[in-house]
Amino acid sequence: MNMQSYFPVPPGVGMEENFLSLDDILLSHERLPVRSDCAFPRLGFLEKSADTQDIAEGTKMELPLWLTKGLYEKKRKVVSVELPKVYREGWRTVFNADPNVVDLHKMGPYYYSLGSQLLHFDSPENPDIAQTLLQTFIGRFRRTMDSSQNAYNEDTSAVVERLDSLEKGLFRSGQIGLNGFQSWEKGQATQLTASSLVLNYRKRKITDIQP
Amino acid sequence: MSDTLFDDGSEQDDIQEDVMTPAELIAKLEEAWLNEKFSPELLESRSEVVECVMEQLTHMEANLQRVKKGDAKASVHRMEIDRIRFVLSSYLRSRLQKIEKFFPHVLEREKSRGDSYPSLLSPEEFAFAKEYHANTESYLKAVALKRMPPNLQTVDMLKAVPEPCLDSFVFLRVKERQENILVEPETDDQREYVVDLEEGSQHLMRYRTIAPLVSSGAVQLI
Amino acid sequence: MTTSSGPWSDCMPASLAAREILCVVNVREKSHQTRPNQTNKMDPSEVEFLAEKETVKIIPNFSLDKIFLIGGDLGPFNPGLPVDVPVWLALNLKQRQKCRIVPPEWMEVEKLEDIREQERKEKTFTPVPSPYYMELTKLLLNHASDNIPKADEIRTLVKDIWDTRIAKLRLSTDSFISQQEAHAKLDNLTLMEINTIRAFFLDSLNCMYKLRSNLQPGSSQGQFMDY
Repeated sequence: MNMQSYFPVPPGVGMEENFLSLDDILLSHERLPVRSDCAFPRLGFLEKSADTQDIAEGTKMELPLWLTKGLYEKKRKVVSVELPKVYREGWRTVFNADPNVVDLHKMGPYYYSLGSQLLHFDSPENPDIAQTLLQTFIGRFRRTMDSSQNAYNEDTSAVVERLDSLEKGLFRSGQIGLNGFQSWEKGQATQLTASSLVLNYRKRKITDIQP
Repeated sequence: MSDTLFDDGSEQDDIQEDVMTPAELIAKLEEAWLNEKFSPELLESRSEVVECVMEQLTHMEANLQRVKKGDAKASVHRMEIDRIRFVLSSYLRSRLQKIEKFFPHVLEREKSRGDSYPSLLSPEEFAFAKEYHANTESYLKAVALKRMPPNLQTVDMLKAVPEPCLDSFVFLRVKERQENILVEPETDDQREYVVDLEEGSQHLMRYRTIAPLVSSGAVQLI
Repeated sequence: MTTSSGPWSDCMPASLAAREILCVVNVREKSHQTRPNQTNKMDPSEVEFLAEKETVKIIPNFSLDKIFLIGGDLGPFNPGLPVDVPVWLALNLKQRQKCRIVPPEWMEVEKLEDIREQERKEKTFTPVPSPYYMELTKLLLNHASDNIPKADEIRTLVKDIWDTRIAKLRLSTDSFISQQEAHAKLDNLTLMEINTIRAFFLDSLNCMYKLRSNLQPGSSQGQFMDY
């Protein structure tokens, strides 16, 4: 998705999801550990591990974020959401000590976005989660920047593969800026290239001709 | 608009009545171009500048028709025309891109503005925005929505399309000195403070803080 | 059941499947369009375009009366007599072998060495000889290197100055983010310098802003609401 020729809708990042963002749609599929606080008659199909027709009260299961958000109500107990491991206190301590050691791709890859989404569900730990998310981003910023700005013909895959999806997006915009400047410097910007529209048009024409 | 000179002159053929020289006009166009390129939201349309520049170009091109081929001056004039045309179309294009990006919000603002407020859009841009909105809706309906259950067949575009983020940071250069610009704190342990923007100085700050200065022309986005 | 912040008039989980279809449709359709530059971004060639408006002295080898351009008057041109013209015209005339370009006075080894030393010594950005020093160096050296003494040395010096400044720019970017500052004064930075880091920096600030608004629940407008 490097050279997009349209305006992709960016992810919402904070508590707000962007409806037409592909990243946010993928995010909405992330699974959260939840517990049912009431019985769900005839919804057994949602819980793949048990072969029952109903979901009994107190069942522990994993549900995707979109479904959890749909079911969750603050005033009435329907489901309660548990924190995924990375957002619990133990990991928060790790992040606060040195955010750079963590492989956020493996732990995420939507570490920041999912963390922000968790704030929709009431939890006494919410302020701490929010604080850790921000501090982690700031703590890792220098690295994200250096990898995107110094990656002059270097293999950056080792650094990049440990970035969260949000950081990866930033890495890409940094690279676009750097590459743009470098190709200008080399004088490549003055060479005109055919637009992808024209190229696609030609391709279509050829296929049209073929029987 | 602060350019009162355009209020009566824009419809007339004779641009000589304007106090603004053509060079100043081109500078205005370039200002509008950069501001539009870098501001997170759609700015007020500078149709009067666009119209005057168009007139200048047409006038110059008409003159060039009469010049015989191989004239040394004509080629210089043509180069200048091409450069101005580039800025003009880049300006208009970046406005169209923003209209496409924010169309529901642009139209909403147009709907809710009182008669005393000027439109952000030129008549052509307004038509474009309406058409883009209608096309997007009918397209989504044709390929997907009409196959959905009845209660899911409407999408609120105002919610589906993100709004421009006025809290974005922008780079700017000060053209007219400004005093006591309030900088809001970023964190709880910071305090708000005021800065003076000296003429010619450059700054990085939130667009929301200086948005009025962009429209008044006191600062230039860079 | 619940009304979430989604744009569906009646938001039930099933609407999310519909959202995916819509989104994919939207993307597939648009991917055929070509958009060279997005909003809030500027191509280096556009910065160069602005640099081409700077004036430079040329010594023409032809004569021509004054030219009344829309952007101002030029000339008259007389063989051997220096005259100021915009860079775009100077380069064009040079390519047609109609003139010799007089390099700007800062484009000289000794002056640039001083600037380089100064730039390395100071922690802050020192004043540059021209707001378009990088672009002008590239343009003039690529098209008129025969008119510029010690062209190669100049190229290296300017590149050194550039590299030193960009390293400083990265340092200050990092501290702006880590201190969570709200305002920075950037005098002496050139448009091309800002431009290399613009998208990355502004996008990062936006992300940080959103993560920070998480700290004040209820302040973000699109939150998951109670009915």
